[in-house]
Amino acid sequence: MLTAFRVSKRRVRLATRATRSLSTTANHEESDIVIVGGGPAGLTLASALGSSHAVRDTLKVTLIEAGDLDKVRGWSMQPGKFSNRVSSITNASQAFLQDIGAWDHVGVERTCPIEEMQVWDGISDARIMFSAAEMPSPAGFPQGEMARLTENLNLQRALLRHLASHPTIQLLDKVKLQSISCEEREGGGWPLVHLSDGRVLRARLLVGADGPNSPVRAFSGIQSYGWAYDTHAVVATLDHVPRSPFEPPNTTAYQRFLPTGPIAFLPISATASSLVWSTTPALARRLVASEPAVLADMINAAFRLPEVSMRYLHDRLLEADAPLSASVLRDEIAFRERAHGVDPRSAYAVTVGATTGVPPADADAVPPLVTSIQPGTVASFPLRYNHADAYVGEGAGARTVLVGDAAHTVHPLAGQGLNMGLADVEALARCIHDALSRGGDIGSYTALLPYARERYFENHKIMSAVDKLHKLYAAQSAPVVWARSVGVEVLNELDTLKAAVMMTAGSGRYSSQSAKAVGWDLAASGIENVARGVGAAKSVTDALIGIAGAGVQGLLRQVTSPRRS
Amino acid sequence: MRAVRRDLLTALRRTPSFIHIRSLAHQSRRTLSSATTSQAADTSHSSVNPDEIAHFSRLSSMWWDERGEFGLLHKMNPVRMQFIRDKVLEIMRDDEGELSAERERNVLQGLDVLDVGCGGGLLCESLARQGGNTLGIDASASNITIASLHASSDPALRFSDSGPSASSSSHTKGGQLRYEHTSVEALLAREGPRRFDVVCSMEVLEHVDNPRQFLQHCAELVKPGGHLFLSTISRTPLAYLLTIFAAEHLLRLVTPGTHTYAKYVKPAELLGFFQAYRSPPSPSTSTTLSTPTPSTSAESAADATRPWISRLYGGVPARTEAETRGIVYVPWNGEWTLVPRGAPGKECAEAVNYLFWVRRPRED
Ligand SMILES: Cc1cc2nc3c(=O)[nH]c(=O)nc-3n(C[C@H](O)[C@H](O)[C@H](O)COP(=O)(O)OP(=O)(O)OC[C@H]3O[C@@H](n4cnc5c(N)ncnc54)[C@H](O)[C@@H]3O)c2cc1C
Ligand SMILES: C[S@@+](CC[C@H](N)C(=O)[O-])C[C@H]1O[C@@H](n2cnc3c(N)ncnc32)[C@H](O)[C@@H]1O
Repeated sequence: MLTAFRVSKRRVRLATRATRSLSTTANHEESDIVIVGGGPAGLTLASALGSSHAVRDTLKVTLIEAGDLDKVRGWSMQPGKFSNRVSSITNASQAFLQDIGAWDHVGVERTCPIEEMQVWDGISDARIMFSAAEMPSPAGFPQGEMARLTENLNLQRALLRHLASHPTIQLLDKVKLQSISCEEREGGGWPLVHLSDGRVLRARLLVGADGPNSPVRAFSGIQSYGWAYDTHAVVATLDHVPRSPFEPPNTTAYQRFLPTGPIAFLPISATASSLVWSTTPALARRLVASEPAVLADMINAAFRLPEVSMRYLHDRLLEADAPLSASVLRDEIAFRERAHGVDPRSAYAVTVGATTGVPPADADAVPPLVTSIQPGTVASFPLRYNHADAYVGEGAGARTVLVGDAAHTVHPLAGQGLNMGLADVEALARCIHDALSRGGDIGSYTALLPYARERYFENHKIMSAVDKLHKLYAAQSAPVVWARSVGVEVLNELDTLKAAVMMTAGSGRYSSQSAKAVGWDLAASGIENVARGVGAAKSVTDALIGIAGAGVQGLLRQVTSPRRS
Repeated sequence: MRAVRRDLLTALRRTPSFIHIRSLAHQSRRTLSSATTSQAADTSHSSVNPDEIAHFSRLSSMWWDERGEFGLLHKMNPVRMQFIRDKVLEIMRDDEGELSAERERNVLQGLDVLDVGCGGGLLCESLARQGGNTLGIDASASNITIASLHASSDPALRFSDSGPSASSSSHTKGGQLRYEHTSVEALLAREGPRRFDVVCSMEVLEHVDNPRQFLQHCAELVKPGGHLFLSTISRTPLAYLLTIFAAEHLLRLVTPGTHTYAKYVKPAELLGFFQAYRSPPSPSTSTTLSTPTPSTSAESAADATRPWISRLYGGVPARTEAETRGIVYVPWNGEWTLVPRGAPGKECAEAVNYLFWVRRPRED
């Protein structure tokens, strides 16, 4: 799955203008919707379309995935062992997956509720907590839960199981999108999708669910705006001691913002959690190459030691000619703990470890101590920010739409990437359904526009909140660092994070519906707005506007007054 | 055949779209209530205004540019389809009780549908996708060319270029789709009355001569118990302000000269027309082209048929006979909104663009 991400753009020959022979040689297959990409977004879209009677009956849907979907179908791991690619599925996302009938296929025993989140600043220690009680949760969800940590493969397998009951959705795997051309036809041609096995699909609607390097995005000529963060994320599955009966269960997610980047601890079971540690590429390389005991202690230290000491340990790790040994690191940590006067019985002690007996009073301020790393789970990814300029293609890229990471790639610090993709899919599926019920052409710009309108700004808000936060912590300029060190601004910014998380926590799911309910209100003020716009252009025909404007005022009063009464 | 079309298209594109502003002062007030009888006596092409047709022909290559000249019509399509769908379903439920899910999905399945003044076929394609056996007619030949060309690229549409029997195979359940360059008068003369379950004419009424006669012809083509759908612009200062002054001149959303204020028709005028209008008695072949004014036809046909709208209740017709609904463009949503029934300010919304539905009385 990780390697499947790396589809080089160069290998996809992009022909925006096809020769006439290409469009008239009729050796292509017709497909109403071609979804490129069998990641979480693509599979969810296929599932959502499959679960709609109207879509199933009238549209031919084809999904193309370069990787081997049988591997996902047959994916299994022994209990207690977990994949390193996990996502926190918000209640809103889960509600959607339930609606389409896919969530029932998730191995829930391998998922873990997140009930609380603790986030703090590495320098000032300013901290905020947020719990499920503050989050809007869709009806029918336990109040105590804000998200569910789920392995991506667990979700993808569930989607494939769900799709097995909808055989009309055609899944083509181990086949690659090779190039896309645009038919030459008066009034706009349709996309022709050329596959690595020589087949050509003519698509009424082409969906790019093909991840961050999206070949579909490149074809459709949609520009995107973004940059690589000078940051990599180290992921791993961590084993740790269970919380004692006197402590809260392992359902709290922790994240500490270090100047090098945030480190996150995400519970997946009572004794295992997932790591996402964003840091400099050089450090990431060293961490990945370290022996497991070293990585475990570095993680424990990163949640506990004061920032100066972490900086020191980072330097040690980078400077060492030979890899740092576990015992040397342990001595270093013990020394720093003594120097800082860390109470060996407190939760902040790394080297003393979990002792028997009553847990320290501050036990839930930090995650449990990591005892080992599950073999084969350590990996690292470069992080980037990227947002497509548009979600719907035009001109030679007409009849294309982007969802998921193909449309937006975001820093994982708020755990929103996948959730944003699922919200895209929900909106797009609804849009397709609506267009269909009114006899619309689902590939037309008009049919797709509501999707873009619903999602673009929503995603943009989350992305800029997350990006702002990353920037604040990555900034090295003196005033920013100073402000951070004394805790000024930090709490505000952590609130930004909270807002970003809240945005997708469940409220978003209903905003579209309520927007429909107030449609007429908007329409009423729409008249007002047009009237004002005209009124503003006074220079043209003053008198006319004077007369008509008076009429408008009267009419507007009619529109608005009965509502108030 | 293709090559010919291609040439036509390029020729169309090269035609400079010159600005053509008609002055209000020179326009006679040809409203529904002041139709002149001399024009009514005119024969086959009497509703076709050559200036109007030339205007739309010049713009014909732009029909399917969703963000261009006809962008607002594209955006209007979902709303008017919603209206058609809801209204047809509502009446079917009245007549037949609960409907199958299949019927709800393909409302027009098995129905004969006519779209008068179909332009590039925006509405026709949607009607056909909903299952209607659809015929689109337009007085402009180049519009018909564009509509045909566009439909032929969509395999889900059972589009036939020639006779009504040909159809391309497809797994979709869409109805057949055909286009024809003709006028409503000529079609009625050829096919006779009572031919279609649904007759639509969207954004056309404001472009025709003899609107009264145009409406009569459209109405005669409706089968008893069938539906007539219209959409048009009301003749109010607000409509003038928003459609001609703002849309054409200020914002340049549509080419100046597209609209003529005097031709706008108010909802009350349409209601009034159908309060007086009675279908010619059945079975009739000879009366097809006679276009009696309601006042004169009333004596001869009074026993046989009743007016399409029996009475108004405070200006509003019975839900089962007719309905007017305002539609409003919401700029920041980029969508048209159908004003809810009985919404506050309903009358105000109908002061600009509105949809109109009326049912031909059943004869049983
Ligand atoms: C370290 C890390 C931690 C994260 N944690 C979270 C989290 O906690 N919560 C959260 O919500 N999100 C998280 N995310 C983000 C999340 O993983 C992504 O948003 C999500 O995987 C995107 O799904 P997708 O389906 O859009 O794209 P992808 O998963 O990238 O899928 C794209 C698919 O398209 C296929 N493909 C590409 N090109 C072609 C081609 N030419 N032909 C055929 N197939 C092709 C690929 O094989 C692939 O299967 C995290 C990301 C990272 C890097
Ligand atoms: C504003 S367009 C509306 C097109 C289409 N009904 C729609 O709404 O998408 C008006 C159309 O009516 C056609 N038209 C005008 N007068 C007509 C008439 N008397 N008979 C048939 N068509 C006419 C024009 O050629 C033009 O295509």
